[in-house]
Amino acid sequence: MPFEKILAAVDGSDASNRAFGKALELARLTGARVTALAVEGPLPAYAATIGEVDEVKREKDAYFGGLLAETRHRAEAAGVELDVDLRPGHPAELISRVAAEVGADLIVLGHRGHFLRDHLLGSTADRVVEHADCPVMIVR
Amino acid sequence: MSQLALAAVLALAILAASTISVELGISVALIELTLGVFIGNAFDVSVPEWLSFIGSFAGVVLVFLAGAEVDVPQFRREWKASLWIGSASFVAPFFVVMAFAYWGLGWSGEAAQIAGIALSTTSLAVVYAVLVETGLNQTTIGKRIMSATFVTDFGTAAALSILFIEPNVWILAFAGASIGLIVGLPRLAPWFFGRFGNRVIEPEIKLVFAALFVLMWLGDKAESHAVLPAFVLGLALSSHYAAHRLEQERLRVVAFAFLTPFFFLKGGMNVSVGALWANLGILALLFGAKMIPKLAAVYPLARRYCAPHAGFTTLLMSTGLTFGTISSLFGLQAGIIDETQFSLLVSVVVLSAIVPTVIAQRFFQPSAEEEARRDRLTPATPAYEREGA
Repeated sequence: MPFEKILAAVDGSDASNRAFGKALELARLTGARVTALAVEGPLPAYAATIGEVDEVKREKDAYFGGLLAETRHRAEAAGVELDVDLRPGHPAELISRVAAEVGADLIVLGHRGHFLRDHLLGSTADRVVEHADCPVMIVR
Repeated sequence: MSQLALAAVLALAILAASTISVELGISVALIELTLGVFIGNAFDVSVPEWLSFIGSFAGVVLVFLAGAEVDVPQFRREWKASLWIGSASFVAPFFVVMAFAYWGLGWSGEAAQIAGIALSTTSLAVVYAVLVETGLNQTTIGKRIMSATFVTDFGTAAALSILFIEPNVWILAFAGASIGLIVGLPRLAPWFFGRFGNRVIEPEIKLVFAALFVLMWLGDKAESHAVLPAFVLGLALSSHYAAHRLEQERLRVVAFAFLTPFFFLKGGMNVSVGALWANLGILALLFGAKMIPKLAAVYPLARRYCAPHAGFTTLLMSTGLTFGTISSLFGLQAGIIDETQFSLLVSVVVLSAIVPTVIAQRFFQPSAEEEARRDRLTPATPAYEREGA
């Protein structure tokens, strides 16, 4: 069996939705279990008020709560066993770390997220490829 | 540039700052400050009276909000550790920076005091963001750091309000109104907010703003500053806001949408890039004068109360932003410091928001999971209390 545990990074972008679809297809073919990891991303750096931080955190919680519910629904429809994991922090670093924690033998993610910083600073996918200890599949 | 043209430029800058902040994940305040520097220097415009006025009020609102965000029950639980760490975090840099500015840089006594206050602050919001982002806000160490930050902020507010008082008869009115509002508003709030709250005309926000304007007016007449009573008033209302989050949220919306952008733009517009460029060496020395005593004073206490994460705690306690900017602006507006001194102080404040945070996150960040596990294994009474310290 080529893959037993697949880690799929989800952020709600088109690329990530396509990547999650591919992860489900692969899991169905191989019987692998999928972990969907949503990384809330950093809060406003160097904030001047707690209100600013709180608001962004609340927005992220609501957005990712909805996203993970949708993710569960898609996995159920595909008949794939799914674990979900929502964490705050820096996406590239966390995707590599969680992959090691769950013993993933494949990471699947989209080529580009939906934040401008992905365009300006290089994509999360590039950094995951650099740091991951297992194969990485990038979906365009 | 006409007043309306400037207002239009500032409104566009405020809009741009919000969108850039969302896209880049950087605090809107820092971007507003940066855009203020750009506008002030590129267009060579000085800060008009109306902007200065709104900015001053926004500064007091920011302090009130900071007080209202303090978790009082948490502070009561952690008061001993927090008091030590927070006091050391304020006192050490305050005296070292003041001495350095006075004897080393030849600043006047009052300017040196402003430097000491501005560079002894710790940023509640910067610390909070780091702790929430990592999940450490739920752990003992995170709660202890937050409470210590409050103590440092209290020191800043007290110093700013007390050190520059030139006693006159108005001080009695200022003190009386401060005490009256701090004692009376929390008692009035449940009835007032219940009777007049939850309306689009927002009487509850107007009540807070009226109280703050009264404090500003009397503080000005008394040759003092409303920072301390505004902070304590926020603190006195914090329990009320903790139980009525929606009211706090509305106040934040009004403050962040209209008031605080002008505060940070005003701060940025007063920064002279030319003066900074000509004094880069002094900038570095002032940064050292803030960081070295902070690190030296907080680290031994952090080893005692926040082990094994003394390095992380110390670095977070070394951050600064809002209170440092408020203190510097007060000094500039009161004519205590000049534009060059203001530019240097605000730049050090901004540097101290970024440099220690980056180092703490990159090299010293504890694992929230491990800390939560440690909390579960740790006895309810901390070791330093069991030892009878």
